Parts: sequence; structure tokens; C-alpha cells
Amino acid sequence: MTGATATWTAYETTSAALGALAAEGATGALSGERGIVYLSAGRVVHAESAFTPDLGALLTRSGAVAPDGWWDAVDRGGAQHRVGHRLVDSGRLAAGALEVCHLGALFDAAYFVLAHDTRAHRFRPGAAHWLGAVRSVPVDAVVRESGRRRALLDRIWPDSAVDTAPLARVPGAGGADLPVRRVRTLTQVDGVRTAAQIASALACRTYHTLVELRRLAAAGLVAPAPAPAPPRTRAPDPGGGGWQDPDTALLRRLRDALEAL
Amino acid sequence: MANLETSLKECLSAIDGATAAALVDYTSGMALGTLGGTKDFNLEVAAAGNTDVVRAKLRTMEHLGLNEEIEDILITLSSQYHMIRLLKSRGGNGLFLYLVLDSSRANLAMARHQLRRIESELEV
Repeated sequence: MTGATATWTAYETTSAALGALAAEGATGALSGERGIVYLSAGRVVHAESAFTPDLGALLTRSGAVAPDGWWDAVDRGGAQHRVGHRLVDSGRLAAGALEVCHLGALFDAAYFVLAHDTRAHRFRPGAAHWLGAVRSVPVDAVVRESGRRRALLDRIWPDSAVDTAPLARVPGAGGADLPVRRVRTLTQVDGVRTAAQIASALACRTYHTLVELRRLAAAGLVAPAPAPAPPRTRAPDPGGGGWQDPDTALLRRLRDALEAL
Repeated sequence: MANLETSLKECLSAIDGATAAALVDYTSGMALGTLGGTKDFNLEVAAAGNTDVVRAKLRTMEHLGLNEEIEDILITLSSQYHMIRLLKSRGGNGLFLYLVLDSSRANLAMARHQLRRIESELEV
């Protein structure tokens, strides 16, 4: 860990600040408007954003890890920043499968952090994520991949509001002859949910969901909801079903804040 | 238990004739891990290009209304085999293993069998 982490403030964008921190070999957490990127010795070890379901949601909703197993690993491994290790050591998940899911969540969150590449808000030197070391990626690979994804999505349909706004079906539009995967996504569009909530409901990676949603937008079937509902409003719960993701995100941040004390 | 690195290493050590391997996300075209590329054979480029192959086949199947999964795709060149094996996952991760084999040394049936085993370590 280095002490020289003051220069990142000189940069106008999060990506440039990340580049400077990487060059210093910094360790810590850089917060931007849309999420946090965790660095260790100048490499990206994790990223999270409220606009994308986290690793826990991905693993538990897809059924790869039982919710009890996930929370048990968080309880036992969280304080030592070894949740990932605990999942693997306890035999709940193969190391390779964890790495694959972790990289998926990392690049999904980094896309959101860097899609809106404004000045970074804060850097907490030395801060580590409770997940612990799983796999690290060079900063330039993350920045390059985020840019590439942005370009790919814009080529499908150049409206980035689809990524973050509550989405609604366009009244009167058809929807026949759609591939199965797109129909699955379309049925989740209800005028309230955002891309992240749809991805979470489908237990599908956010970027893949964004691709499907932008295709649906390009086909004139889906558009950002006209009167934007307050993003945190809950729909009336139909029969007490399950976790809502904003809660998980809030709990996660609370835990991080408590650990940082 | 195998991690990503050891799974790719196993591809090259356990499969006869294998010269390069990559794990690729076919929605974005990004290689999550690569092993064995040379300066004459850029695996990142191969990963991105073969993403188009997978996507074209998936799209064709959708147009045909085939509700099936692709298990693998084999491309036979004059001196190489390129094998693409899609990973099954409940979360729809959209990944494939890409393997380059020297056709004079490779045993295709054995390679497919080994790849299936290595793949199971990466599936969620």
C-alpha cells in the first residue's frame, strides 16, 4: 500500500483518476456518482453499483448458492474480508465458477461507474471489499472494456436512459416473433422496474439484460417510463415475495461503513 | 478445486494437441481468461471474432424457431481444429470455452470429452 494517493483529485474523470491510482499501485476504494471501484496494489479487485445486482444476488437468485449458504459465508467471512474464500472452502461453489461470476459482476458494475465518467467523489485509502481477493484485473482492461460495451450498446440503440430509468412497454406495439430470451425480458417490463431490477428478477447478468432491453427499445417495444416514478418506491408486494435489491445494497453499504470505522 | 487459471492450464496440458485456450463472454466479446496465444496468434482477436460465430448461430436458431442449446461448434482448418464449447449455466452467463488444436496431434472425441470435464468446474 502506498501513502501517495492525493493526485487522483487532479483528474476530471473517474477513468483518469483510476489510471493515476493504478500507476501509484494504490489500494483502496474510489467512489464515483454511480458506484465504487476497489483497488488492490493498483489493480481492480471489485466494483459495485446500485444500478446492477451484486454478486450475492446473482449467485443466490440463479440457485448457484442457497441464500442461507451465502449469508453464512458473509457472516463468517465478512469481517476478515474472506467471503469468497469461505464460499469455496465450504464447498458451496467451485473456485472457477466464483471467479467467472465475480468477473461478470465486476465488469457489469464498472460499466455503470464509467458510463457516466464524471469526476470521482472520494478515495478511501486502504479500504477493502468484504468479498476479499478473488481475481484482479488491470485498470486499463476495465476502462477499455467499459468503453467497448458502451459503444456496443449505443450501436444497438443510442439511448443510455434505458440502462437506468424505470422501463415501460410502448402501448400498442406488437411483440410477436421475438426470440424466447427477449420475450422473457419483455415480460419483466412493467413501468416500474429498472434494468437492474429486471436483471435481478431473471437472475441474469446486467449487461446481457441491457443488450436485450436496448434491442427491445430499438424495436419500439420498450421505452423509459414517461412519468418517472420515484426510483425507490416499492410496488405493493404480491404475496410477500422475497428480497428487494435496494435493501441488499443498503445493507451492504452499511456493513462497509461500519467496517471502515 | 480448479480456478479459472488452472482450468485453462488443464485444457492445454490434458488435451492432446491443444495449443491455446480462452474463456470468452459472447455477449460482449471479452476474454475473461486466455492461455497459450502467441504473437502470431492473438487470442483476444480470436475471442472477439468467434463471438460473432456463436452469436450468428444463436440468431439463426432463433429464426428457425429451434428451441435447443448449442453444445459445441467445431471449425476444421487445414492444420487446426477450433473448438467452441458453450458453458451451461442457470444464470445465463453467456460464456464459451475456445480451444485451438493442432489437427495432426489431436483426438477430437477425446478432446470433447476432456473439455466437457474441465467445463463442469466453471459452471454455475
